[in-house]
Amino acid sequence: MAAKKGKLTKVLDHLKHEDPFSKGVAFCPGCGLELLLRFIPQVMGNDIVITGTPSCSAPVLLGQNNQSWHKLSYFGTLMTGAAANATGLARYYRKAGIDNTVVCFNGDGTAADIGFGNLSGAAERNEPFIYICYDNEGYMNTGIQKSGTTPFGATTTTTPKGSVHKGKNLRRMNLALKMAMHKIPYAATATLSDLDDLAKKLLKAKEAKERGFAFLHVFAPCTTGWGYAPENTIEVCRRAVKTNYFPLWEAVDGKIRMTKTVKKPKPVKTYTELIKKFAHLTEEDHQILQDDIDYEFCILGGLSVLEGECQLPVSAQD
Amino acid sequence: MSSNKYFKHEGPWSDANDPLMVSDTGDWRTKRPIVDKEKCIFCGFCAMYCPIQVMEMVEASHFTPDLDFCKGCGICAKECPKNAISMEPEGDF
Repeated sequence: MAAKKGKLTKVLDHLKHEDPFSKGVAFCPGCGLELLLRFIPQVMGNDIVITGTPSCSAPVLLGQNNQSWHKLSYFGTLMTGAAANATGLARYYRKAGIDNTVVCFNGDGTAADIGFGNLSGAAERNEPFIYICYDNEGYMNTGIQKSGTTPFGATTTTTPKGSVHKGKNLRRMNLALKMAMHKIPYAATATLSDLDDLAKKLLKAKEAKERGFAFLHVFAPCTTGWGYAPENTIEVCRRAVKTNYFPLWEAVDGKIRMTKTVKKPKPVKTYTELIKKFAHLTEEDHQILQDDIDYEFCILGGLSVLEGECQLPVSAQD
Repeated sequence: MSSNKYFKHEGPWSDANDPLMVSDTGDWRTKRPIVDKEKCIFCGFCAMYCPIQVMEMVEASHFTPDLDFCKGCGICAKECPKNAISMEPEGDF
């Protein structure tokens, strides 16, 4: 007897366009980036122009010799000028009267560290393109060095665990919140465990691009750099959301709204236990990480009040 | 391992008639996903989460992986709500 057939997940309805990538591409097994990269053109359409920098995505997006791994248009550029290049492309298409979507697709190294200056500048000028940052919390392509979004306690090749230092001893920056504070038409965070949410945010970003800059921060775990089993990629994303390590929200014109609220957030230990880069953390280290997550979530909670009416902070003298 | 439908040349190269390169990623696999057709409830979670997007629909009844390209990461087996997919060692085939 055949099992009872259920309903197809509605995420597959979002995949309206064909997959422009060749089936066998050179990403690690279980790579979160590969799922994201195949997902974007299937949702947004194959008429997008991607511009990006040296990163894990570049060997596939750029192609080899005179052959290509995909059917999209791609423009490879330098890490220091990623957003500036996208600005030029978007302005050309606008002047030429071509209706097109420019997607600046970069890792967290470009977005948070090296190319942050012109990312911020492009947001300030409200340039009409979509900037997608896939966050694998480090420079994974060059050999797992730490970046600005590497969390506290994570071991990388530049912040190794030794007798004195135990992983990165600094906190991570909150890139998406910084971008939302530019009051751009659309800024959002997304992750791969909630693909329905990601598809909606991609379509909203495409819509918001008509009014100006759209920024998407996507949490894409790295199986090689973080040290977890390849089959856990989606589980890592799911636990990051459930522990409020990576909360999902969107900001339309600077007004923050949570797209997924976690009723009972789990302690951060349920997230770190899966990942080898956190394996050495003690109870105290976990507490520091937990405090940091609570602090960021607290700010987010305070800012999402803005969706209703603006409450001025109480004066310090009172 | 693969059926060699695509890989007439060595390495990830293609000739001028074929616009896209393909790499023999099916050769990387150490574990092979086996779909239990009886247990499959056709929810599509495996097809949705597969990074390589190789899960193909079979007559609206179940999904099956394209073993020419499946890298054997095991996300489909982990995310299947009915545990209908098992990962078997590649050496057994």
